[in-house]
Amino acid sequence: MEKEKRRNINRLKSFYPLRAKIDETYKKSIENIKAGKPIIWAMINCWFGDPILKAMGLETIYPENYGAVCASTGIAESYLNRSDREGFPSHLCGYARNCFGYVSTMMTDLGGEVPPEAPIGGMPKPILLLSSNIGCDARYKWFQALGRYMDVPVWVLDMPVPGVKELFMDGVYDRCIKLIVNELREFVAFLERLLGVKMDWDRLAATVHDIEEMNRVWHEINELRKARPCPMHSRDFWSAMTPSLFLAGNPRESLQLYRDMFHEVKSRIDNKISGINTEEKFRLLFSELPPWHSLGIFDKLAERGWNFVIESWSYHPPQPLDLSGIADPLEHIARSAFHFKTGYFKDALGEGDYYGYTSYPMQKFAKDYQCDGAFLHQILTCRSTSNHVPYLWDRLMHKLKIPSMIVEGDIVDLRLFDASDVFKRIEPFEESMRYYKNKRKESA
Amino acid sequence: MLKGTEGIARAREIYQDRFQMGKELKAEGKTIVGYLCFYAPVEVMSALDIIPFKIFGSMKERSTKADRFLPRAFCPIIRSVLSLSLSGKYDFLDGMVMVHTCDAMERTSRIWESVASPPYVHYMDMPTKIDKMHQEALREEIDDFRKTLESFAGKELQPQKLRKAIETHNQQRHLVRRLYGHTKSAPPLISGKEIMEIIGAVSCLPVEEGNELLRKVITEVEERKKSPEKGFARILVWGSVLEAPVLIEMIENAEANVVIDDTCTGTRGYFTDINLNKNPLDALAYYCLVDLKCPRTFKEAPNNDVRKDYQADLEARFGYLKDFTREWKVDGVILQSVKYCDCHGFEVPQVKDYFDNLKIPSLYLEHDFTEQGLRALKTRVEAFLEMIRGELY
Repeated sequence: MEKEKRRNINRLKSFYPLRAKIDETYKKSIENIKAGKPIIWAMINCWFGDPILKAMGLETIYPENYGAVCASTGIAESYLNRSDREGFPSHLCGYARNCFGYVSTMMTDLGGEVPPEAPIGGMPKPILLLSSNIGCDARYKWFQALGRYMDVPVWVLDMPVPGVKELFMDGVYDRCIKLIVNELREFVAFLERLLGVKMDWDRLAATVHDIEEMNRVWHEINELRKARPCPMHSRDFWSAMTPSLFLAGNPRESLQLYRDMFHEVKSRIDNKISGINTEEKFRLLFSELPPWHSLGIFDKLAERGWNFVIESWSYHPPQPLDLSGIADPLEHIARSAFHFKTGYFKDALGEGDYYGYTSYPMQKFAKDYQCDGAFLHQILTCRSTSNHVPYLWDRLMHKLKIPSMIVEGDIVDLRLFDASDVFKRIEPFEESMRYYKNKRKESA
Repeated sequence: MLKGTEGIARAREIYQDRFQMGKELKAEGKTIVGYLCFYAPVEVMSALDIIPFKIFGSMKERSTKADRFLPRAFCPIIRSVLSLSLSGKYDFLDGMVMVHTCDAMERTSRIWESVASPPYVHYMDMPTKIDKMHQEALREEIDDFRKTLESFAGKELQPQKLRKAIETHNQQRHLVRRLYGHTKSAPPLISGKEIMEIIGAVSCLPVEEGNELLRKVITEVEERKKSPEKGFARILVWGSVLEAPVLIEMIENAEANVVIDDTCTGTRGYFTDINLNKNPLDALAYYCLVDLKCPRTFKEAPNNDVRKDYQADLEARFGYLKDFTREWKVDGVILQSVKYCDCHGFEVPQVKDYFDNLKIPSLYLEHDFTEQGLRALKTRVEAFLEMIRGELY
């Protein structure tokens, strides 16, 4: 039965070594701890602080990612229950609650030892919690709250995100870049104080170069997915995204793996090979993180000809920028990270849409990837990623005549996701996709 | 018309029909700009003869209009405000200033601007950290707001007018503190419910008019022959926005007094003055980032950057609450937050730890920003107060 499910999605071969980077990172962190080396816990920070950690040779673990690991291995529930007992409200981010349960177990019950049941080696106690305001308030409130259990300092990376029209006021863009560069300079100085070592600026420049190149190739792979049939399903995207998104592994090695993936995807296009093993009847956009605990639904949907051709903007790399004239690696980081967040603002402003990140790029993706419908995963405990879902539904329908299906669920708490509800709604939604496809043709 | 009464009665009237107040101001030809949170630099608006109008949600009405653009599992306050706006209740506003105080506010600002489109909208980003570099960044943001507002108002901001506006808003802060001073006695001269209504009313009035109303209210309170009854316990209420006084009434009807609060609709916007000895924009930025107390800002113990000390951290973040409990002789604390408020939600176990250290009992309540939702908490509130009664007697 399991084998039959998997055959519906035509998985790329090149994603395996990229996915393996996650396990490799956790394994390395355990080895590092055993060797007396420091570990950092970080929030996903959109290539803002990570390149600096990489250049300083620091092993980084992402508790958000670990939340997904705990969810997919089924251990999360006990950590969530523990978080509830600790007094954290149950409406908070599922990843954060998983982490509170984990840390409370590790620090209160086990004196700092990794809990034996922790999957893939667990998260050893860090020397720094690298937080950021990018994405959500939880990213700094969560690490601040860990102070209840661990005497570990928290550093917040504070990135400015202006309004869509305010970005184009005189001096705003340059001011934001200057602020980010100064912010990063302070962060480097802090790390030097914390670790007692100096930054190797040449190594930072080389790391930044590798990351930019890796993200450029990863971006190009995703551009290839505009082809019909789409050669790469979202399952492959999610499996392959961590070396870029979390910088799992060595960026130079990952760059080569992404190049391999590029060639595989390109060769599929040349040979008209699809990302699903059935006829591509519907091209879909997926919004927000998938239900990690129920990924099997995509196989069943693929059987019906649903090809997921593009996903949330938030997990894609920044659009490539020409930074060849800039020498300072910190300015490279600043411009690239700021561009990730604001790179679509100009187009959004032109269309009178002030939700210039998240929602606007998703509308653009839906157009550029010729989507017939959108599967919008409303994550109940991650409001920051899915607050735009009804708005996006509205824009897709009223501006682009693309129907969406909103499904409520969660990234960790499987009790909040009802797969049977998805299947009940498939047929009417397919009808809707067909209807609007014709409508779009008529108005073209 | 809302102008037939005076003092506390007038405040209550305005509070109960703030939309009418807005319409009347509009009919007088005033320019009104709405804001959602006390982080908006209201002084800049007042200095340009624009009325800053605090917009509230409603705990009575369902937020059905917001369903089109916002999920149900989302800050119910913001949902309510957007819903009211989409149903035309805030049509008297000439514009809105949105400040990045939290995710919900930040994201909704972007949606609001796209779908509600008032004539003037400005989005002001705000740092999370409070150091000098980020104060300067906020100063620039406030200056950008000044520029767009000047262009909207069609006039330039005169530095002396900004200074004067800060002075007048500081007077308002001083008057509100005087009002809270009258809850220090036992029994207090004014109830928690009355204070909430008065602050709610004042935040919808031109600042001078609000100050005038506060002066009359204070005189009335000081001349009172009969004060609210002495309760058996003195309660501090902490947390997010409370639009209707249901929870306060619930506590006060159970024979306790709400003597002080640390909420967005209470003390938070009034307990520190803006420094008039600094450059006004620097002073505003410092006030917003350093002085205002809200969990949205990242604060920690100073000189603590390479090793965390939880107790020192709690003291740096919540030390002002110790002052509150001592000055107002607090017997118990009710921590409340609307569901889906991450800033307050993450804070709960930590602020509870702080009150535990002070040996002051506390209770956490979560609600959905509806009157019914709050009423459903009555049994828990009464049980908590009973527990305090048992400890006190």
